[in-house]
Amino acid sequence: MIKIENLEKVYKTEEIETTALNGINMHVKTGEFVSIMGPSGCGKSTLLNVMGLLDKPESGSYKFLETELLSMNDKQRSNFRKQNMGFVFQNFNLIDELTVFENIELPLIYNKVPATERKRLVNEIIERMNIVNRSGHFPQQLSGGQQQRVAVARALVTKPKLVLADEPTGNLDSSHGNEVMELLCELNEQGTTIVMVTHSSHDASFSNRIINLKDGHVISEKINKSRTEELI
Amino acid sequence: MFKLNFKIALRNIWKNKTSSLINISGLAIGLAACLLLLLYVAYEYDYDTQTIDTGQTYKVMINGRDANGEVDGTADATPNAIAPLLKQNYPAVKAAARIEGQGKRLIANGAQTLKRTTYFADPDLLNIFDYHFIYGDKRTALTEPNSVIVTASTARMLFGTTDVLNRSVRYDDKTDLKITGVIKDLPGNTSVSFDFLLPWSLNEAYRSWIKRPDWGNLNYKTIIRMNPETDIKQFNRSVKGVIKQHASWSSNEMVLFPLSKLHLYDTFVKGESTGGRIDQLRLFMGLAIGILLIACINFMNMATAKSEKRAKEVGIKKTIGATRGSLIGQFLMESMVLTVLSTTLAIVLIELCIPFFNRLLDIQLGINYSNSSIWIGLMGVVLITGLISGSYPAFYLSSFNPIQILTKRNIKNGLFSVNLRQILVVGQFSFAVILIIATTVIYQQIQYIKNRPVGYEINQLVELPQEGLLYDKLDVLRERLAKSGAVLSLYQSSGTIATETSWFSGMEWPGSSEADKLQNFSQLATTYDFVKTTGVKLVAGRDFSRSFASDSAAVLLNRSAVKRMNLKDPVGQTVVAHGNKVTVVGVFEDFILGSPTLKGSPLVVAFMKGWGGKVTMRMNPSNSVTENIATIEKIVKEVNPAYPVELTFVDQLYAEKLKTQRVLGILSNLFGGLAIFISCLGLFGLASYSAEQRTKEIGVRKVLGASVSSLMQLLSFSFLKMVAFAIIISVPIANYVMNNWLQNFEFHTSISWLIVLLTAAGTLAIALLTVSFQAYKAANANPVDALKYE
Ligand SMILES: Nc1ncnc2c1ncn2[C@@H]1O[C@H](COP(=O)(O)OP(=O)(O)O)[C@@H](O)[C@H]1O
Ligand SMILES: [Mg+2]
Repeated sequence: MIKIENLEKVYKTEEIETTALNGINMHVKTGEFVSIMGPSGCGKSTLLNVMGLLDKPESGSYKFLETELLSMNDKQRSNFRKQNMGFVFQNFNLIDELTVFENIELPLIYNKVPATERKRLVNEIIERMNIVNRSGHFPQQLSGGQQQRVAVARALVTKPKLVLADEPTGNLDSSHGNEVMELLCELNEQGTTIVMVTHSSHDASFSNRIINLKDGHVISEKINKSRTEELI
Repeated sequence: MFKLNFKIALRNIWKNKTSSLINISGLAIGLAACLLLLLYVAYEYDYDTQTIDTGQTYKVMINGRDANGEVDGTADATPNAIAPLLKQNYPAVKAAARIEGQGKRLIANGAQTLKRTTYFADPDLLNIFDYHFIYGDKRTALTEPNSVIVTASTARMLFGTTDVLNRSVRYDDKTDLKITGVIKDLPGNTSVSFDFLLPWSLNEAYRSWIKRPDWGNLNYKTIIRMNPETDIKQFNRSVKGVIKQHASWSSNEMVLFPLSKLHLYDTFVKGESTGGRIDQLRLFMGLAIGILLIACINFMNMATAKSEKRAKEVGIKKTIGATRGSLIGQFLMESMVLTVLSTTLAIVLIELCIPFFNRLLDIQLGINYSNSSIWIGLMGVVLITGLISGSYPAFYLSSFNPIQILTKRNIKNGLFSVNLRQILVVGQFSFAVILIIATTVIYQQIQYIKNRPVGYEINQLVELPQEGLLYDKLDVLRERLAKSGAVLSLYQSSGTIATETSWFSGMEWPGSSEADKLQNFSQLATTYDFVKTTGVKLVAGRDFSRSFASDSAAVLLNRSAVKRMNLKDPVGQTVVAHGNKVTVVGVFEDFILGSPTLKGSPLVVAFMKGWGGKVTMRMNPSNSVTENIATIEKIVKEVNPAYPVELTFVDQLYAEKLKTQRVLGILSNLFGGLAIFISCLGLFGLASYSAEQRTKEIGVRKVLGASVSSLMQLLSFSFLKMVAFAIIISVPIANYVMNNWLQNFEFHTSISWLIVLLTAAGTLAIALLTVSFQAYKAANANPVDALKYE
């Protein structure tokens, strides 16, 4: 599904230049659940952001289902993103002024889904996420785990082909973290491709494959046998 | 989407109550001030537009020429012969009417007596002004000499109803008139403002000489309506010499000037209109826009200051698919919502202020809600204000790169935004400082003019229209008042001493040339006791005296007149005035008769028995004023029972002359103050926001041992720097502008550096107070709370 070649990303500030990605080569198959691991500052988030079209690399190629995405203009990227991708962040990133229901509804609005259809889709996912009695609440009124479930719901409501998650459990205690991981697994089993950045090898153990980064390079790759066999 | 954005907007307003309050109330005050000023401007612009064909309605103006043949005066005082002549001989003239104001006259329904403003007018006036007839027929209403048109409120006061057609009223205690028309009350902004209107034929019946064409007596006003396709320039050329054709001795020329423009463009130099009230009006328009801008700047500042909070929302929305356009739309809509709320509040404010404002300026402003152009204008203001105030935050916020925001990198508000915000604050305060300095200079100038010695005993004088028996029984009145002890002395005169009422030319004196005959002199006709009553200072000779029979052909001159005539030893010399030889018996010091902003002009006080109009009395200062007034009223009523006693204090009349200056003073004080208030409101909001944003930093600094005062310095300094910078920019500008303004007055004060210094210090102090209140709050907060807050 995804094929990345020689991706380079350099951040320039007034004083220093940081090479965040230094010739990344990787691929992701449709239906796969890939974890990206590595020490802090090695470029994981940068890679994920590039994959999510939130950031532009200096050079390289990024093919998504045979379409080259890096040559697109802003408008095309934005369109592609909202139709194909969903995001889950470490700090949830819910809009404080909107209720749970409205937060989840927002991507559907941007995708111009008609109102009745929106209502149906949001209610469906709210039920699935087990947050029905929270739908009128505002984010601040929820626990971290609940907030992250809302964030996942929001990422899923458009039925994206690819979900990108940047340390989704980073701000959660282990039991809430596990809930979220189980949710992602379930999702993956239903066919959604997932790329997740994580620090935790426990979380990574839920995935099919683990890519290790260091200083903007892929240094190793490990297939998680127990999960992958059932996939093949 | 719209609904959702609308919800976000409302929730944001609700969540940030303080800043919303500052935003909405600041904008509301700004809008109210702006709209009120614009209402006032519109009121002035609509002056004399209550005509049937405003574009074709003109007033006849007369250009007078001086000794050198230069046009030295332009006025709307015309002879009685012009209107009939134009109507008869010029097909381009559709209607022409003479009018003559009579001031306040008696009108009575039996015992129900009123004194109301009236005019004599040709019937054609009804074909020029678009009066709304409730009863009566405008084609015949003024044709009979014994008819009268009354306004609705006059009718109601006399009869208790407006349905009074064909009823009879008594005019001036001598003539019975039939009411032939009842019209809607006139608005405040018309120059032909009356409570009842009399036919010209009645004027002619009273004074037979008015029937005869007289090219020398410029006692009347002439208003004409032209046919639509007239080329007015050419018409003016063709009538320029008309007066000379009929009166070869006259140097006067007539010219038509649009009636609706005359109110605003009433200053003429060498026959050309050079401005007038319009200058003041432009100032107010600038003020209106300036105040609104200040309020808008507040709004922009607050919104961009809040951008860090809003950035997250922007980032998320962009990540999940919002386009830049939709975000711009959202923020613009938010500012629209606030603007609409502010406008609603502003209208409430205006409605509360209008009665006060009207009383202050003596006008009749009001919002006419049934007028669609008001709504269109309002919508326009809302839209423009919303766009101006929302555009910067909208474009700025929507430009954020989502990932930078969400990872909190590189969004320390960007260099650009900080600079722009600073520029806005500096601009805002510069404007405020200019306004304060302008306001104080205007105030000082008004004080300066007010404090100019008037030259007569203004505070002891009261005057009274000379009516009815007050002509024949003047000596009786004088005796009785003197005996009562309320009045020291009195005199009759052709006009008030409070203002110039009459001019003449054709004066000759020893050594005068033919050209000198064109020199205009102010004149006041009187009999005995002028100097004694008014207290003007004689510098040579004496007052008119009963012991000199020859004084029936005598004049007094003021110092300027003597100077103009270049007389070495004026007393005893013979001069010619109005074709009669008269002797100069005295010279007095110039006193302020015309505008207090002008230097003295030549004045001739002539002894003329038959030309009265006013009785002016000097009250006895050893009694209280109320006692004196009561006594005077009682005695005058006894002497002249048919007329109500209308005493006017001369100092009040004098104050009327400063009305334009007073309006300017009031408005600039009021709105200058508002501008400063709104600026400080903005500073307050910005300071509180910056303090809130730096809560964590302050906490850390405090934990490390910073003192409250050092923290306050830290927080206040950047703001004070901006205000100081604003002062440095604005002082020279204000200085330049106000110096120019002062040059408009022959008598003017100068800008004192003390005032400028005080203004600067005051502004800094207010800003310091505003900011340090917030800084103190932030610096005194418990550091642990501050750290937890993040
Ligand atoms: N916007 C930016 N500006 C400058 N440097 C950046 C920026 N974003 C990331 N970096 C740098 O790029 C490198 C990789 O960052 P990141 O991808 O966030 O690492 P992580 O693997 O911890 O997610 C780091 O050295 C970081 O400092
Ligand atoms: Mg990271």
